[in-house]
Amino acid sequence: MRRIYIQTIGEICHTVDEPLPELKDLVAAAVGQPVRRISRFMQLALIGAGRCATKQSLPKETAVYLASGRGDLEITLDVMNQLFREGQSPKPLSFVNTVSNAAAFYVAKCLGLTASSSFVCSRYFAFESALQLALVDFAAGTIDAALIGSVDCAVAPLDVHRRRLGLNADAQLAEASHWVFLSCEQTATALGEIIAAASAADLDSLQQWIAMQKLPVDGTAISCGQFLASSDFESIQKQTGLRAAFDYRAGRGYYDSQSAAAVGEYLRSAKNKMRMLLHINGDSLGRYSAMLIREAG
Amino acid sequence: MRFANREESLPYYLLCEEPLADLEQRLYRVIESAVEEALDAAHVSAAQRRTLGLFIGTSSSEISVAEAVFKRELKQSRDAAPLMNSSSLGNIALWIMERFGLRGPDFTINTACTASANAVMHADALLRSGRIERALIVGFEHFNSITALGFQGLQLLTDDLMRPFDSRRNGLVLGEACAALVLEKNSRTREQFWLRGAANFCDTHSISAANPDGSTVRYTLERALHSAELAPDAISALKAHGTASLLNDEAEAAGMRQVFQRMPALCALKPRIGHTLGACGLAELALFCGAAQQGWLPATPKICATPGDLGVVLNQTPVALPPGNFMLNYFGFGGNNTSLIVSNLER
Repeated sequence: MRRIYIQTIGEICHTVDEPLPELKDLVAAAVGQPVRRISRFMQLALIGAGRCATKQSLPKETAVYLASGRGDLEITLDVMNQLFREGQSPKPLSFVNTVSNAAAFYVAKCLGLTASSSFVCSRYFAFESALQLALVDFAAGTIDAALIGSVDCAVAPLDVHRRRLGLNADAQLAEASHWVFLSCEQTATALGEIIAAASAADLDSLQQWIAMQKLPVDGTAISCGQFLASSDFESIQKQTGLRAAFDYRAGRGYYDSQSAAAVGEYLRSAKNKMRMLLHINGDSLGRYSAMLIREAG
Repeated sequence: MRFANREESLPYYLLCEEPLADLEQRLYRVIESAVEEALDAAHVSAAQRRTLGLFIGTSSSEISVAEAVFKRELKQSRDAAPLMNSSSLGNIALWIMERFGLRGPDFTINTACTASANAVMHADALLRSGRIERALIVGFEHFNSITALGFQGLQLLTDDLMRPFDSRRNGLVLGEACAALVLEKNSRTREQFWLRGAANFCDTHSISAANPDGSTVRYTLERALHSAELAPDAISALKAHGTASLLNDEAEAAGMRQVFQRMPALCALKPRIGHTLGACGLAELALFCGAAQQGWLPATPKICATPGDLGVVLNQTPVALPPGNFMLNYFGFGGNNTSLIVSNLER
């Protein structure tokens, strides 16, 4: 089994109010050049991925796995409003940019990457899905390095956006782009290691998977994903004996793909007393996902 | 043939007599029917469905439904906003899982015209890894105004026949499709196909076209051959992406010529079913395998029978196709290139 190291993390995450903050300068700073005529979703992708790459130059053969809970809502909404409200056909570039992998294209282009790229959407397990696909490709030897990110953006007007997301009128909204650069190379600067990522059809299957990991109770923290019921979290804690809850969500506004933030927050809050983090998320169908990471050192 | 919707002057003709109606439900009915048929044909039990992995490939997802809902709501109020009921590309996956009792992992791949080919590739990778025992792959693409007008704006639509690689080629015809496929690990019968190799490559030359010098197409095809552990001359037939657009056919032909000293028998399926975008990966795989299983390679008549400016030509009449290794290529917006190699030879 190949070991997979977290070499760098790069992200942007902020709560938003209207008007939404400008991102152009942040894009230019992150990727070293202005990138024009791209959507907010693509800007966020470039900022997060670019920040990953500024800390360490990425090999050209780095595969890109981009995930999202909603995709590039802004550009789709623009095109729909133009067409059906104003009667204007989509402009050619706007139309081409409606493909969700356009953001992955700009990431690869701006960072000089020449490998595979993928865009995967999952309503509840966005980052987890991309991570699973990447880990399988690592294990098969198809890739040696991967940039994995999840992006979700806010769209004005925010009161409409809250209703679109099914949130209360006073819910604090946020937008974010979280990326990790993984490779099989064991470096002195590696931040940590991805031990495993898994999905489970039900709570029993999840508990069995956790039991197989043989986690040290006094060295493993556990975090509760945004869609996991608190009763499930308590049940898992009780069953596993993992009492040290790691809270990465406090003060975070709402966006869909928050699981990636758990990885970044955990590694940033080093040196943790807990060497490992088990992150659990759930969905409306009663399924679960789990990620297990270990801090370097 | 008539306008799909004369009132809006959509650049779309219908090749059937069915009117475009009930757009808010039509997509779900079609997907439900295809998935049900695939699960039944593969005899997937209720218990097996609990761990079945779901891989969806689509470009426009539920946009056809979202358009219909928004148009209806706009008639009632100018304050209506789009995508209020379905704002996640992952919603169809949830709906399929709920409807069919699936509880395995789900992945909705949205990489334009390579989407369902990539879904096949990812499903195969998860099967080989042992994470899942079975995978359901669904590729779908339904009529929507944004796509039709978007392609018209890019001047990629023809009002004539699709003529891939022909000097007279002048664009594509859009199509609709929904295909569903069940993959199982190690349960192959003699006549069934298996995915021998695959590769995906992000071509950063342009967001809307592959590099016309063929270099990135060549690289994708070579990686697929490497993955399949095959030399180019081991490919006995090739299904081209073949959009009949000026630039993409140029890039694809150049790439194929660089890889193959002797071009294998070549077919393209879009002249028969239109360009079904995110669904074409799976729909064309199913059609190709269906024909190959019966021992023949589909023909593309009514196009130039001798190589034109691009130096390649599609076969004109159905030819016999014994068991072999076959390459199927797909290229999409966002620089997404994918090549699959399937085989019906013994493993």
